Parts: sequence; structure tokens; C-alpha cells
Amino acid sequence: MKNIWKTLTRQKAVFAILALLVIMGAAELFTHTTFYTLYNWLDMLRSAAVLEIVAMGVSVAVLCGGCDLSVGGTLCIGGILAVMTVNAGLPIWLAFAAAMAAGALIGAVNGFLIVHQRTEPFIITLGMGMLLKGIAQQLTDAHPLTCKSLEFMTISNQKYFGSVPSLVVFMLVIVALFYLLMRFTSFGRNCYAIGGNYEVAKYSGIAVVPIKWSAFVISGVTASLAGVLLASRMNTGSSVYGDNTGMLVNCGCVIGGTSFAGGVGGIPQSFLGVFVMQLFTNCMNQIGISSYYQQLFQGVLIVTVIGLDCYGRMLKREHRDRESRLAARMGS
Amino acid sequence: MSKAGEYLLEIKDVCKYFPGVVALDHVSLSIPYGVVYGIVGENGAGKSTLMKILSGVYTKDEGTVIFDGETIERTTPIQALRRGLSIIYQEFNLVNTMTVGENIFLGRFKETHGMKGTHARARELLDSIDSKIDTHAVVGDLSASEMQMVEISKALSFDSKLIIMDEPSSSLTQEELSKLGNIIRSLRQRGISIIYISHKLDEIFEYCDIVTIMRDGRVIDTKPVAQLSRGEMIAKMVGRTIENEYPPRTDNVGEALLEVKHLNTWKLRDVSFTLHRGEILGLVGLVGSGRSEIVRAIYGADHADSKEIRIGGQEIRVKQPWDAKKAGFALVPEDRKREGLILPFSVESNISMASLEDLTHKGVIDKGKERQSAQRQIQALGVKTPSASTKVLNLSGGNQQKCIIGRWLEREPRILIMDEPTRGIDVGAKYEIYLLMNKIVEAGGAIIMISSELPEVLNMSHRVLTVCDGRITGEFDPRACSAADIMDKAIG
Repeated sequence: MKNIWKTLTRQKAVFAILALLVIMGAAELFTHTTFYTLYNWLDMLRSAAVLEIVAMGVSVAVLCGGCDLSVGGTLCIGGILAVMTVNAGLPIWLAFAAAMAAGALIGAVNGFLIVHQRTEPFIITLGMGMLLKGIAQQLTDAHPLTCKSLEFMTISNQKYFGSVPSLVVFMLVIVALFYLLMRFTSFGRNCYAIGGNYEVAKYSGIAVVPIKWSAFVISGVTASLAGVLLASRMNTGSSVYGDNTGMLVNCGCVIGGTSFAGGVGGIPQSFLGVFVMQLFTNCMNQIGISSYYQQLFQGVLIVTVIGLDCYGRMLKREHRDRESRLAARMGS
Repeated sequence: MSKAGEYLLEIKDVCKYFPGVVALDHVSLSIPYGVVYGIVGENGAGKSTLMKILSGVYTKDEGTVIFDGETIERTTPIQALRRGLSIIYQEFNLVNTMTVGENIFLGRFKETHGMKGTHARARELLDSIDSKIDTHAVVGDLSASEMQMVEISKALSFDSKLIIMDEPSSSLTQEELSKLGNIIRSLRQRGISIIYISHKLDEIFEYCDIVTIMRDGRVIDTKPVAQLSRGEMIAKMVGRTIENEYPPRTDNVGEALLEVKHLNTWKLRDVSFTLHRGEILGLVGLVGSGRSEIVRAIYGADHADSKEIRIGGQEIRVKQPWDAKKAGFALVPEDRKREGLILPFSVESNISMASLEDLTHKGVIDKGKERQSAQRQIQALGVKTPSASTKVLNLSGGNQQKCIIGRWLEREPRILIMDEPTRGIDVGAKYEIYLLMNKIVEAGGAIIMISSELPEVLNMSHRVLTVCDGRITGEFDPRACSAADIMDKAIG
């Protein structure tokens, strides 16, 4: 419990959430909003679900010391492939399988380029994202592809337990799975070690190449899975989806405290980081801020949170590490 | 000296407290003009804290500091430099991507009237210490010794009266070290005082005039070096007498365990050798001779063009450190901080890193088992840490090294490769590491040890191979030959 509290308070994202809650509470005094309603929160979670699912896979890549900006493209491809499969009259499970296989393939290519060719993950996945967008446009002839199967559409548009949207349930299950994976398995631990210090991990006989590689595969698979769910929600596969996804998700991870340097952060942090952005958008909508300003404020939020976080860390580091640096320097 | 009798630096009753620790306890030192002043002490003795107070990184809590007749209350690193007090850290303070000249006058380009003046003055300074380094060379391309020259020139550019050198020899070869010795002597002749901090007592005896021994934040003794013996000095440093610096050699060398044949890489030429059970095999060579490359290639960390490795007569294939680990190899790498430990991780996860597969059940880590294994190693090796969940970066060098050794002992490796196992570790902890090594070979393991410290190799190993220019140039029985014989072959 103490640990959970520590993890939470160390994240500026948590403070951002609290601050937003207070502001909305205050706003309640002046105008009537639907912010503090169960419906609104479920709706918020549902809107965040696709991004959160993508963020889970990306977090694994980021924890391994990489990042994955190609997820936007992967998401499109996943959705389009699924719709095409369903429209061809094939069963739905095959749609999921096809999309996820494509995602795995994309991840494997990313992994190959990054782990074996030692390319810079930021640039290579950015390029990969554009490339995939291009493929998506070719596949659909740049038109949205409407799905003809009602069954496919219901996947993301039904409700469980009375009023909980199915997307929220899927998201929670996936978040829980990833949390367990990264927290309790040797795979997760090895990811942290690889991100923490690749050389050390290598010399300790950790199978660095397959593990880092599979991190990108996982990222590809979750992105394409999210793509299928999004296609089902919209009943459409389109190449315009996911334009900002890559940036938003990677940004969200960092806001939450999962560092691009690798080895620091975790699944709960990434979850909160992505959620904070969704919450912020929702707050602005509730207060009635025009969408022209929204992007501005969102940028301000990202810059402030990350800036404050780094500043806080620096102060803490200076404070605490003085002694340890002293010890280290004395020693060697 | 012109101002003989006066002191350049006087420190009186300086105290420094950190939460829970007295880092400096009424420390008093007086450093005359134009001397080389040695400060020795184990890790945590307070040497670096004292130096950081002088250079302005820390502020003192009590006491007075008088530098060149001026009482100094508070100072900042840049003020200290301007006053004429510079410090050369072990990890150099240079911008690797900039040139030598730019580094020397970093942030002071106005004073040197542009690039031309910068390089001209840098040239003068380098000439004054007899260095031939091109001032236009990029610092990142220089060797450790050359970087040190740049640091010294930088100190001279401030007209320093006192230069503090913190472990200046740790990354130098024998030859470079003697060059440093010459520079130190010439600086002393110019009336500059030098504080020389080192673990290597040989250097203290060779270069220093006066030495202060510190322990636990206190000054134990200050004496002219000539009046001290090596044994006395060690006894004062550790607070107890160490009869021997090295434990007695074990004697249970058995049959051949590891055979390496025709090892070729871009650096190595047809390296072949055998390692026996219960043996410590020493590899000796200059930095860059290929000694580390040999073990790295065997361990699968570097690509080998061809190699044949047999363990107990059976050929094994090693392409990755992962394969090496499975075959029973273990590597304690040279650079503890960069290759050995993930500093912000806990002691526990650093220890369990190599044996995680054995601590899991269907891929899920058994936290209880992990804790047990860490505790086992912490106890067996005597790692001094508040708890298993302490971050390794808070431990001293010796204890960090023990964590790496513990990581491998947990796997009970057959062949332990140790690259500079005692670098940057104080005398007491060194002895403990030696004992550990003996314990490992007594249990039937074998160790390949690489070390720049010849006495260590001579006293610990059963057999010594010299490496020069990527080849093995000689084989020695350290019990029956002198250091000079070995160095002769190592220099090639």
C-alpha cells in the first residue's frame, strides 16, 4: 500500500488529475456540468480505451529503452484489414487474427531495424508510421471502408454489467494483463534491465536480442488490436484514423513517468499519463472551451507536466544523490 | 621556495555532517607551497568530501579554511578555480565533442580573443608540460592519459597554485604513469602544490613528500613519506594490521577444464590456451593489448571470426553472452558502472539478474525465492548494505563489486572471468575479494583474471599469460619468475 502511494505521489500526472478534479469542482459552483457523473466517467474511459490499449504495448517498448511512433499506422492497418476480412465474409476471429498478425509483422520489422541494425527508434518508427499510412491509403483507395457486418460492429458498441461499455472492459483486462506481465514475470523484469542498461543486461546473460525484439512485436500487436476495436466502434476502417495516436501515446507514457531513457516507469504510470490527456480534453469540453484553444491548452499541459516532473526529479536527485555520488566518487 | 615557512592551504577543524553520518570530524591539514601532498584512506574515509569542500561543491559546517593567506568561508567551483585551486576528477570534466583548445578555455573564449588566441595559448600550456597533443584534436578521440594532460593544462590556464588529483592513475598504463610522474615533479618545481589522492600506495611512495592518512572522516596521521613504511601506512588506513596484502595461494589445480583454440577477431591473432580446474589464470598486457578482447570474445560479447571452445573436452558454441552463461561462464566486467550494474536498481534485482530463470515458476518471478537468493549472497559475501532493496548506487565500490560476484555465484559458474576485479576498491575490500576468488577455485571452479596491477597477478594466479598486440606472447609460473620477466614479454 505504501508502495502504491509512493508510486502515485512521485508522478506529476497524479497531481494533474487532482488539480483537474478540483478545478472541475470549482467550475461546478458557477455552471452546471455533467463532469461528476458516472456516465461521463464511463464515456471518458471509453474514449480513452483505444489509446490506452495502444499505450500498453508502447510502454513495453519504451521500458526496453525504445519508443514506438509507428503505432498510428499500425492501428489503421489493423482496422482496415479486419474490416476487409469481415467484408469478405470470413469469420470475425479471423479478422482479429489477420490484424494482429499484421501488427506482429510490423513490430518484428521495427524490432529487426532497431535491435539488429541499431537504428534510432524515434526516427525509424516515425518513418515506419508514415510508410504504413501510405499502405493504408493504398489499401482503401483513401476512402473509408464501411463494415457490412452487424456482428462486428457490436463488439465495441455493446455494454456489459448494465452500463459499462465493452471497450472499457477490454481496456481494463488488457491493462491488468500488462501490469501483471511487467510486474511479476521474468520477461517484464528483463525488459526493465534492458532499458536500465543494455550492456549490463547483455553481460548478465539476459537474452537481450529476442526480448527487445519481442517488445516491439508486442507493441505492434496491441496497436493493431486497438485498431480492430476502433474499426468496430466506428464500423469503419479508414486510413485517417490514428493520425495523432503515435505522438499522443508516446507522450502520454512520458507524462505518466515512463522515461524514454528506458528502465523507469511502468504500466500504471503510462495508464495515468494517457488518461490525464483524455481527462483534460473532457474538462475543456465540459467548460465549453472552443476546440481552437483546446490544442493550445493540451500543449501547455504536456509541456508543464513534463517540465515540472523533470525539474522535481532534478531537485530530488541533487538532494539525495549528493551523498551517494560522494560515496561513489570516494570509492573509485 | 620563496614563501617557505608559510602554508598555501590551511584547514583547521573542519567538520561536515550528512544526515546520520559525520563525514568529516575536525579535520586539520596544512599544505606548504610546492609539495606533492598525498592523501590516502579507504573508501568513505572522507577524502572526497574534503576535496569537495575545497572546490566549493559542498559547504563546510564548522572550521576554517585559509587558502593562500585568504580565509574562505563559502566558495563556488568557479570562484575556487579563479583563486587558483583546481581539481581533476577521476572521470574527467571535458566535453568529448569539442577540441582540446576549446576544452581548456571552455566558457572563457572572450579572454583568449577568439579561436586563434585560444589555440595559441592552449599550445603554450601543453608545451609547458611537454605534451605533443594537437590543440585541434577532438577530446573524444584522445586516450585517458592525453585527456589528463588536457585537464592539467586547463588547471594551469587558471594559474592554479594547488591542483588536486583524484585517483589520477586509475586509467593509465605504466608508461603513461611515469610521464605523469614527470609532470608532477615539474609542477612542483614551479611552486605549484599538488594533492595526490590514490589507492595505489606505490605511487604515494614514489611521488609524494608528505602524506596524510584518513579514516572514518578523521585525520589519523600526517608524516613525511620517508618516515613511513608500507605496512604502517596500510595498518593506519584500515585501523588494523593486515599481515599480508594477499591470501596464500590455493593448491588444487586439476585437469583441463577449458580449452580455447584459434581464437581470431579483428584484434586477436590465433589465441589458444588452456584453463584448468581450480586454477587462477592471470592475463597480463598493456591497455589495448587485447587482453580484455580475449575474454570478451570467449564470452560472446564480441564477434569472433573463428574460435573453438571446449569445456571438459566437449565443444560448445558461444554466439551471445546468453550462450556463455548457459555453458557455465560468468563475467565480472571491467567497467563496473557501465557494464556491471544497473545503478538505479536495487541490490536484490542486480543480484538476481543472471539467475532469474531459476527463480521463476512458469515465467512468474517468485519474490520469496528472489529475496532468499539475494540475502544468501549478501551474507555469504559480506555485502555491506542497509537492505536488499537499497539501490546499488548507494553502495561503495567494493560492495558493488561483491554484488556482481554474488550475481554469478548464485549460478555456480564453472569458469569465472574477472576483468580488473579490484579496480577502485580499497585495501580491506580487496583482500576480501581475493579470499572469495580462492574460495571459488577451491570449490572446483576456475578463474581467468585480467589485471593491470602486476603484484596482484603475481600473488594470486597459478599461471600467467602475457598478451601483446593481440597475441599470447608468453606463459609464466608466477612463483618462479619476476615481474620484470613478465613485463618484458607483455611490452613485446
